Amino acid sequence: MRLRRTEPHTLAGAYAMHALNAADTKRFERHLVRCPECAAEIAEFGEVAARLAAAAAAQPPEALKERAMAAAARVRQLPPATGETGATRSAGQRPARLPRQSWAARLALAAASAGLVLATIFGLTASVEQNQISQDQLRSRQVAAVLTARDAVMLDAKVRTGGNAAVVMSRRERALVFAATGLRVLPRSMCYELWLIGPSGDTPAGMLPAPRQGRTGPVIASGLASGDRLGLTVEPAGGSRQPTSPMILELAL
Amino acid sequence: MPEAKTSGPLFRIFGVRTGSGRASPQRGAQAQRTADRELADLLGQVARGDLAAFDAVYDCVAASVFGVVRGVVRDRSQSEEVTQEVVIEVWRTASRFDRSKGSAMAWVTTIAHRRAIDRVRSEQKAAERELRTVTAAVPYDDVVDTVEANLDRERVRRCLGGLTELQRESVTLAYYGGYTYRQVAGLLGVPPGTVSTRMRDALIRLRDCLGVGR
Repeated sequence: MRLRRTEPHTLAGAYAMHALNAADTKRFERHLVRCPECAAEIAEFGEVAARLAAAAAAQPPEALKERAMAAAARVRQLPPATGETGATRSAGQRPARLPRQSWAARLALAAASAGLVLATIFGLTASVEQNQISQDQLRSRQVAAVLTARDAVMLDAKVRTGGNAAVVMSRRERALVFAATGLRVLPRSMCYELWLIGPSGDTPAGMLPAPRQGRTGPVIASGLASGDRLGLTVEPAGGSRQPTSPMILELAL
Repeated sequence: MPEAKTSGPLFRIFGVRTGSGRASPQRGAQAQRTADRELADLLGQVARGDLAAFDAVYDCVAASVFGVVRGVVRDRSQSEEVTQEVVIEVWRTASRFDRSKGSAMAWVTTIAHRRAIDRVRSEQKAAERELRTVTAAVPYDDVVDTVEANLDRERVRRCLGGLTELQRESVTLAYYGGYTYRQVAGLLGVPPGTVSTRMRDALIRLRDCLGVGR
């Protein structure tokens, strides 16, 4: 079995379809930690598999439903995973394993809990890594600098009005990259605006562009100071100098 | 129905057919997203112990779950057992479903496929199972016959039809048959590396064809 010969990345499809034996699974999962694109790809393959499943749908016998319902009523349910409501410090949950890992590994670990919302950032980091991204796509070298900073930390949170936000921040770069998926679509007269909330008040940190295919950003916010929190509000188009509506996301950085 | 050239009855339902193509992926994807949002909401209620919501979830997912499980497990009574396990697993772990990570249906069918695979791999070496038994993966007798199910089948069939034969066989043997890619390689007589590559290529093409990318 010339295991080493197969490019591990090509196993993503087989992995998503549970078509790896135990040894191959182990090997691929080692790769997965270093392969942010794989995580996003596998999630997409899961959606493909769901359609394959639907296409094979077959009606189970009626009696099965009664048995399953009766059995479920006797089974105790798992409580929600702790820390899943509101902001979570994904990267911070594994402090012991973090220090010696690369930024990509840390992003991939965070991905396990932050999920698909990070696909945008992943795509970007992967491209940055391969030097395949144009200045235009990047918008600024700062984005790459944050994503690849040694002290980069990833946070994720739900937005109160719908959607998920992912943030990669670097204290060293004094900046953060913000991306979101599934944000509620706003009328043209409104926009989302980011804020850095510090001891000296709320500082505008940029307006979010209109979403494309459900994804917003990534955008960069710089000038991060120690103790700042990140906020998000809905403002009149063009933005405001001070928040004029309640925070729909507030994240301790 | 015309059939894929060398697969014979193996992939009958997925035989290549370039037909009217009335199942537009856009429209399908839209309907799918709506249905999935409803299912995700229901799972939220199930997580809070709502048995009525669980009843509705069962109705949404049972046929997909049973279809997948039976394809892999083959044996009818074992398939029913595994299906019940999957459904109870959904009840038990509903609070862990996170819609930011993927669709509700993908979450459920992943559990189903994983459970089915675990059952057959723990029982016997899957390679020992005869290839011909895959024929039973999608029998016609109790295939769900609703408009939505037919559309699903039509779309999947059309997209599978757009794959190369090796890609299609790799995916169907792995997913519906429950074989590892190494076993698929053995069955098809091609190097494992080729199969793993084709599998991934196939899923990428299916993703784009089905419009389920993010």
